[in-house]
Amino acid sequence: MIEVKDIKKKFGRKKVLDGVSFTANKGEITCLIGINGVGKTTILNAIMALTPLNKGEILINGEKLNKHSFEKVTFIPDAITMLPQMTIADAMQFMQDFYKTWNQERATELLGFFRLEETEKIASLSKGNTAKINLLLGLALDVDFLLMDEPFSGIDIFSREQIAEVFTSHLVEGRGVIITTHEVHDIEHLIDKVVLLDNGVVLKEFNSEEVRENEGKSVVDVMREVYHK
Amino acid sequence: MNRYLKLVNFELGRFIKVYLVLIVITIIVQVTGIIVKANEYLAQADKAIYEDLMPQSQFIEQYGQMSFLNFARSLWFMGPIALCAAALAFYIFLIWYRDWFGKNTFIYRLLMLPTARINVFFAKATSIFLMVLGLVSVQLILLPLESTILKWVVPTDFRVDLALSEIIKFDYLAILVPQSFIEFILYYGAGFMVVSVLFTAILFERSYKWKGILMGIGYTLLSIVIFAMPVLLMIVFNQDYLYPLEMLAVETFLGIVVLAASIWMSDFLLKKKVTV
Repeated sequence: MIEVKDIKKKFGRKKVLDGVSFTANKGEITCLIGINGVGKTTILNAIMALTPLNKGEILINGEKLNKHSFEKVTFIPDAITMLPQMTIADAMQFMQDFYKTWNQERATELLGFFRLEETEKIASLSKGNTAKINLLLGLALDVDFLLMDEPFSGIDIFSREQIAEVFTSHLVEGRGVIITTHEVHDIEHLIDKVVLLDNGVVLKEFNSEEVRENEGKSVVDVMREVYHK
Repeated sequence: MNRYLKLVNFELGRFIKVYLVLIVITIIVQVTGIIVKANEYLAQADKAIYEDLMPQSQFIEQYGQMSFLNFARSLWFMGPIALCAAALAFYIFLIWYRDWFGKNTFIYRLLMLPTARINVFFAKATSIFLMVLGLVSVQLILLPLESTILKWVVPTDFRVDLALSEIIKFDYLAILVPQSFIEFILYYGAGFMVVSVLFTAILFERSYKWKGILMGIGYTLLSIVIFAMPVLLMIVFNQDYLYPLEMLAVETFLGIVVLAASIWMSDFLLKKKVTV
């Protein structure tokens, strides 16, 4: 389980996170929703210790993040994190060299699934293919948790469908996923838990299935209620 | 350890093309230079002896015999060394900043590797250290080659032959090519310390942005003051408190203190403060 406990973060004088708390469980897809600039990416960066917090604590399986945590949790940012001169094969080799949890079989499967060529250079990839490679490099690790930052942002409809398909496949099964988005339509049916954010605080945290069954509301319906209040 | 070595290999691979270009430039310029300088000297001798009818002995007395040092003092020799030094000095900054800037933010990947983050620091520092050693090695291989070219071009009467051991005692070459293991440790240890201090200053900037620039400059100045303290005290009080050997021991100790402080601070910044 990932526990985010009362985290606070300021950029200059601006409070970006003002006491955010939530949990994300293994085997669940947790979606952080909010408009741009609400602090979604900052939360993911903070979980990976890529930005320091002013206050609060984040625990991964009960432990603070350490070097071994990177074999258990991986972050898929919305920008490619490999060097432009690398080919896809080089990028995969890099991951294999450094991560014990790299699963080459799964990487090859994903390569086929996304119809990507190993010889393609990172620099020449389209926005959609960049998102797919990011996803491939993250999903091919045998980790407990995947953090995904805006995986659908700025990509074409076909790539979106392909990426959404991944969420329903065995590739994600059993793992915990935290995904940030401000476009919830593509994955509404896949989400287990929703955390609605605004002005640096959690406005509402709910189980989407329960809300659907008990109240007959979709995630978008709840969002309308909360954000239009 | 294994991942650290892989990182060193990776960092070296990223700079290898520019590095090879630097080596090729050094070889071409220096080899061309020794031929040009030797021919210049011979042309001067030809003019003096055959046109101005100056006796050979008088020419040698007036202009001196050509030695390798005539070439070593020229831009042909020093230019490529200065270029390589400038490139590596620039690379101390580039090796970090290129990972943050641009479309592909590689720093994400480096900071999320399942290894202690200080290994990224060590790998970058080691790769710069190895590149310096590599360039010095190339220079050491070039020296006898250039010396041989000088012997081919300039007749025996007009030249003074210097052994490699004599050439490397010349001026700045004595620092680049230490004469003993102790000198190697001192010169290259000091170099490693400087690189570590600059890396720490860069990490201050990457952690605290604008404030970090001031902190980085402050940290660098503080390191200089600490390291140069014995010398500064001697200048201020105009008195030699320490014998040379004692001074060496104190400087070595202070160098180790500055190096250890830089590594500790960088480890702290990378773990707790750095921002992507």
